[in-house]
Amino acid sequence: MLSDALKETLRGKIAQGEHPREHAVDVMLEIQKRCGYMSDEAMEEAATLLGMSPLELEELATFYDHIYREPVGKYVIRVCDSAVCWMHGHLSVVDHLTSLLGIGMGETTPDGLFTVLPVCCLGYCDRAPAMMINQRIFGQLTPEKIDRVIRRLREEASFDEAE
Amino acid sequence: MPRLIIDEREIEVPPGTKVIDAAERLGILIPRFCYHEGLGAVGACRMCAVQFVEGPVKGLQMSCMVDAQDGMVVSTSHEEAVEFRRFIIECLMLNHPHDCPVCDEGGQCLLQDETVSGGHGLRRYQGKKRTYRDQYLGELIAHEMNRCIHCYRCSRFYQEFSGYRDLGPLQIANRVFYGRFKDGPLESPFSGNLVDICPTGVYTDKPSRYKARRWDLQRTPSVCIHCSLGCNTVANARYREVVRVEARFSGEVNGHFICDRGRFGFPYTNLPGRPRTARTAGGECSQGEAVAAAAEKLREISSTFGPQAVACFGSSRNSLETQCMLKRICRLQGWQVPGFFVDPALERRVRAAVSLLDASAGVSMREVERADCVVAAGVDPVNEAPMLALAMRQAFRRGAEILVADPRPIFLPFPFIHVPVSMERMDSFLEGLARLAGESSDGTGVREADLLSQIVQNGGLASSDLPLPVSFCRALFGSQNPVVLCGTECVRESTLPAAAALARDLRKGRDRAGLLYVLPGANAFGAGLLNSQGHPGFSRLLESVESGSVRALIVTESDPLNDFCHRDRLLGTLGKLDLLVVMDFLDSETARMAHVFLPTTTHFESGSCFVNHEGRLQYAEAVHHGGIPIEQAGGGSHPPRVYRGDIPGEGPKAAWVILAELGRTLGIPDRDLLGLGPWSLIGEEIPSLKRLEGTVFPPEGIRILSDGDPVQWVQGPEARDGEDDRGAVPPGDFFEILLTHWTFGTEELSSRSGPLQKVEKEPYGMMHSDDARVLGFSEGDRIVLSLEGGQIRFRLSVADRMGRGVLVLPRHRKLAWRNIPEMPCFVPRDRIRREDS
Repeated sequence: MLSDALKETLRGKIAQGEHPREHAVDVMLEIQKRCGYMSDEAMEEAATLLGMSPLELEELATFYDHIYREPVGKYVIRVCDSAVCWMHGHLSVVDHLTSLLGIGMGETTPDGLFTVLPVCCLGYCDRAPAMMINQRIFGQLTPEKIDRVIRRLREEASFDEAE
Repeated sequence: MPRLIIDEREIEVPPGTKVIDAAERLGILIPRFCYHEGLGAVGACRMCAVQFVEGPVKGLQMSCMVDAQDGMVVSTSHEEAVEFRRFIIECLMLNHPHDCPVCDEGGQCLLQDETVSGGHGLRRYQGKKRTYRDQYLGELIAHEMNRCIHCYRCSRFYQEFSGYRDLGPLQIANRVFYGRFKDGPLESPFSGNLVDICPTGVYTDKPSRYKARRWDLQRTPSVCIHCSLGCNTVANARYREVVRVEARFSGEVNGHFICDRGRFGFPYTNLPGRPRTARTAGGECSQGEAVAAAAEKLREISSTFGPQAVACFGSSRNSLETQCMLKRICRLQGWQVPGFFVDPALERRVRAAVSLLDASAGVSMREVERADCVVAAGVDPVNEAPMLALAMRQAFRRGAEILVADPRPIFLPFPFIHVPVSMERMDSFLEGLARLAGESSDGTGVREADLLSQIVQNGGLASSDLPLPVSFCRALFGSQNPVVLCGTECVRESTLPAAAALARDLRKGRDRAGLLYVLPGANAFGAGLLNSQGHPGFSRLLESVESGSVRALIVTESDPLNDFCHRDRLLGTLGKLDLLVVMDFLDSETARMAHVFLPTTTHFESGSCFVNHEGRLQYAEAVHHGGIPIEQAGGGSHPPRVYRGDIPGEGPKAAWVILAELGRTLGIPDRDLLGLGPWSLIGEEIPSLKRLEGTVFPPEGIRILSDGDPVQWVQGPEARDGEDDRGAVPPGDFFEILLTHWTFGTEELSSRSGPLQKVEKEPYGMMHSDDARVLGFSEGDRIVLSLEGGQIRFRLSVADRMGRGVLVLPRHRKLAWRNIPEMPCFVPRDRIRREDS
């Protein structure tokens, strides 16, 4: 399932550490970057590379929010649900986003573009309410701003596809 | 020693004792979930909060996390602590499904107890409960995650304590889930302990599911008889059948845990096919009639051919009472001295082991846990005596270095150094280590490189076979409390004294160096103690039968057809007997051949003594009276309301009682038999145990090793006469066949267990990948081994980490290993071929 080239890269990464398992999370993030998420097969192959049992790797994978064990959209939208965001209208952000995308919290749009997940906390409290899309953060959210962001991402995605 | 006051009572405890344990010594059981004496403290569940009123620690603290110290005043009933614990149990119960009526844990559930003790009676939370999808964990353990309270006991036992890596905590926070990566059987042969340590019903015993509530069970302290370790158990019976076996704490033997062979191996005692009626040539009869028939024939044979025409044969699963009675009757009647092993070489090895152990050398499993360096020679712990592997793991966790010298591929649940020395070179390997130890003790320093090359040469090893040996040698020199473990199943006889010599050399300059022999069978030590000098050995016995000088054989709880290699010969020989008397609780092949058959009770039905590998005499109490299980009598429903004249369980008797009745019928006065009582009987037959007469039996058993000179204690096997010198590798290109045990599927009693039959692997043979390459074999090939006795077919598995020139075969019933003429067995390479060629 993992390509030989990817396995070679990962072996190189693992060899840098004193103990192979030091790089467990890095290896999973690397695979995720290429494959989108950690499938069962990817888990088993990564565990073999790391000298861990699949269960041991699964313990880490399911502990961390940023490792996906199911397919996620091209854009993972994480809406902050900390107390400060909540005071600043987190619930209406969630309402707007989910009705705009037509999916519930934790779901992925049928076109495979967006996944909405909760997160706590983005540390962006001074600009609450906030959300993060892949590695980019957005604060002081309003319905209009959310509409704008989503529209831009849709355009970006169709541009990527066309090219 | 710290003195503290708990609930207005003072107690002095050893330094390092946790407050929760100090309280327990006073009889105060502080509520707890995550804390378990065997696993240690983590402070995860917050249930054991108590108030520290005065002393070095103040306020509300977890009693499992605080060491008892001088001047502490602790209150378990302080208002604040009680209130805190009430909140904790309320939180832990938020998601619990309240399914106690259908939960097997109900009635023995710590969660039930602590809910009551915490005072949580009214539910306030009205929200939706968290639910999980359960996993299939194999045929032994049922999984019900909704009941979980997240105490982490299971994963701590499974991973930290026992070292297996396929069950653990997944997810985070409120979603934490204990399970496997995917559905599938648990890999650990210690998985049954999850049932005992889980404080609620997440893990329950699958074979006994829905059979009984704890309070309906007859429960009694018992001893496991599925290997020589003698782990302590609790036997549970209901409706005339043994329902389940649990671990029983023993400070010296098994600690808190047992293996799955011991837990799930008992169904042989309940089998529908178990013979419960006596039988003679004329068909079924009463016990008394069968004894009379046997006695009449014995008297006839004795008077015609002399008493030496009668021979007796026991086994290492006999209770000590049975072994003693067997020896006693043989002596009083002038019959042949009884034997206990079908393999004369094994019998010699057991006698050697028993004679080499003495109180200063022999160690218990608990002492193995405390060792700081372990040398294991010719022993495969997980397969031969599983709990020994857990003891070794505890030594490893405390920092011990562990080396296993064995040509077989060895798996242990921790890192260790495996040196694949051949059985033939094992002695010189151990001698090399002993010399190294000697060099270090007289302070001359060690010429490591020299000695190492010597060891490599002596061991017949390639230097590449020795990973990290120097570091191990250093660890051995530096150790304060080393232990030598040695097997008896596969090693040469000379390896036993070599292991003892290594332990003796290590003892120089040290307080202690231990020695532990893994023996073949629960009461192999007893068989060795009875010092069967004068017993001709099983092969000679067969020769005597074949030549007609022995006409009658009495087989007591033993199945030679199961154990003996050369099956066809044995079948023919047994057929020649004028009289074959078999007493057994198994429906064995030997029993089916008997002219007179007498059913016996299992150790669950009549209390029995067993002597474990370290010479610890332990008593297993009877848990019930036996009889046909009600489930069988009633075909799964209510038993039929039909009048029967017999009392349930009246047919079978303990083998030693039947032997005594036979002796009485033959004219031995009763005062010399049953009239003696078991203790006097044992004392009469084993003089060194006379001093134990009248002893109150302590719960941890009686260690019967002598402090004195081991040679006077019990005599080892007499020196070998030249012709008997087996075990030398014949010249040329040969494979040595090693017949081994597996955790599941080879041991006589547990291999009859239905649940374990579902768990055991299909048998396969193993050889070194280099050997396979030379022969043109590869992994998974079907191989045929052609011997004089017949063929053995098996699937091949290859390994790199094992000795060359050996072929390892399990004593599995699905493998025709009984076609091997005798052990040790060497076969030329051209006798091994792939099935298709």
